[in-house]
Amino acid sequence: MATADPAVRTDKVLEEVTGGPQHDAGKESRDSGPAGTAPASGRTTSGRKSRGRTVPGRVQRALFVSPSVLTLLVLAAYPLVFIASAAFTESSLGKPFQEFVGTANVETALASAGIRGSLLLGTGYAFAVALASTLLGVITAVALHRSLHSGPVVRTALLLPMIVPPVVVGILFSFVFSPSGGLLDTLISRFTPASGTYAILSDTTWAIVGVGIADVWEWTPLVVLLVFTALLGQDPEITEAARLDGARGVRLFGHITLPAVAGTIAAAFLIRLILAFKVFDLVYVMTSGGPGSSTLVPAYLIWRTALQSFDVGMAATITLLLAVIVTVVTLPVFLIVRRLRHG
Amino acid sequence: MAERAKRSWIAEGWVLLSIAVVLVPLLYLVSISFMTQAQISAGILVPTELAWGNWAKAWNSPVPQGVVNSLLAAASGAVLTLVFALPGAWAIARFRTGGRALNGLILSPWLLPPVVAIIPLLTLLRMLGLTNTLVGLTIVYALVNIPVAIWLLDGFIRRIPVDIEEAGRLDGARDFQLLVRVVAPMLAPALIAVGVIVAILNYNEFLFATFLTQSEDVQTVPVLLAGMLSERIQDFGRIAVSSLVAVFPVFTIAVLLQRYLVDGLTTGAVK
Repeated sequence: MATADPAVRTDKVLEEVTGGPQHDAGKESRDSGPAGTAPASGRTTSGRKSRGRTVPGRVQRALFVSPSVLTLLVLAAYPLVFIASAAFTESSLGKPFQEFVGTANVETALASAGIRGSLLLGTGYAFAVALASTLLGVITAVALHRSLHSGPVVRTALLLPMIVPPVVVGILFSFVFSPSGGLLDTLISRFTPASGTYAILSDTTWAIVGVGIADVWEWTPLVVLLVFTALLGQDPEITEAARLDGARGVRLFGHITLPAVAGTIAAAFLIRLILAFKVFDLVYVMTSGGPGSSTLVPAYLIWRTALQSFDVGMAATITLLLAVIVTVVTLPVFLIVRRLRHG
Repeated sequence: MAERAKRSWIAEGWVLLSIAVVLVPLLYLVSISFMTQAQISAGILVPTELAWGNWAKAWNSPVPQGVVNSLLAAASGAVLTLVFALPGAWAIARFRTGGRALNGLILSPWLLPPVVAIIPLLTLLRMLGLTNTLVGLTIVYALVNIPVAIWLLDGFIRRIPVDIEEAGRLDGARDFQLLVRVVAPMLAPALIAVGVIVAILNYNEFLFATFLTQSEDVQTVPVLLAGMLSERIQDFGRIAVSSLVAVFPVFTIAVLLQRYLVDGLTTGAVK
């Protein structure tokens, strides 16, 4: 940016030399006040131009990004160093890094059926929830795009779940799934009176599905919003041309519409996948990881290990393993997104 | 023509169904808030007589204070985030300050479960003497959202024509002035959009708040709600009312600022 068109720069220099340099110099020193870069006063015009622009500019820009760099240090670098150190030492919450134990923690974690189960559960959950959200989200976005009722009221209503606090979403679905007078139980027993009670959240196979339904309810609107916007942004001429060429219905959608929004769908899937890997609040409120360990997703397991069992070393090890899994799993999706979007 | 009409019927039906799926659980919560425990257990879905007792109980509980605490931390956290994120986002988008490394790493904290940042943040706040205060929580919210805000602002900054900035530069404006006088005003809608998103994220945040606000007078509303669920005898009606009270401010903001919210999510998140 600083090395702009040379012609423009010479013009500017000429203008400054012929125009009122005094006025300019005064302006310069006043201007530099807030930014804290005071140029030496006895410099030539051209010298001031090249150095006065670039060097303090760079300092200023370094100042601009310093809060971001600080954030990265506090939120990424420090935790990473801490986790790496804790994973290879014996560490408790009060006394971290007591003794170097090498890969003992990793071996213990990999040998533990509970931890392996949690990581597997988390991965399966993330994919299932992300797929369900993306599929339902795309269908809803397409329906909304074709519907005559897609005004602001409908759109706002469809966005609501996304802005409900996750804790409240958890409460909401705890009520819906409650065996004593919950919405689902009441409706089922009304239509099939002899079917007994349904306690989804106390069932070892269904509890995770219950959490997943709440998760899909909450975050599918994000997919709808992103895909719907992409559909609105399509070039109408291309669609019209395809229609004149005889493309209709499924073919029009498959050959024209879908490729145009594929990048957005993939990006939405990626965002959704990462959100699902991080699920914590819903599990905390709805099941506390139970019954047994049937909803013990990794984020909840890490929290429980570090802040209830105080075994920071093991919590760090699980975090490290989770980070590896998230990276391995999301990297191909990320590459697909990039190819589709910039392809 | 007949085919189109049929398909649009399916589309209309699906949209109606989606709206029902979204609204029924929320309306069920409203319904529970007007029922006594006995009515809820009896499997009544819509009460014929409204029981206002739950609403009175919630009004005389820490919940209203919790909403105020949440709003304070959410709003001031969002403002601070924008102040820190805007210069960074601009420098990264326009001048590639920090190079590919900073641009690539900026979103990395968002990828991992936030639980990993708890210990460093607690240490930081203890050093500043700000544990168990709203100020401490606000600072944490301000920091935590900087990466997301930069990521969302990036799309908006790239849409500003470079010519306008160049014109400002030729008038002798330096980076800081250019940012304050030219870039920030042009980005005003984007700043509102990203600010609203970040404020809602803050308002809904639970994990950090449970650790950083232990005493009841500074607890945010999600923490209070989670606390009610872990009580030995759960009072469904009171929990439902408190949830509705908690949701009310975000719904109001979302309805009033719907345009900005949508713009922020679509321009920011998909580039």
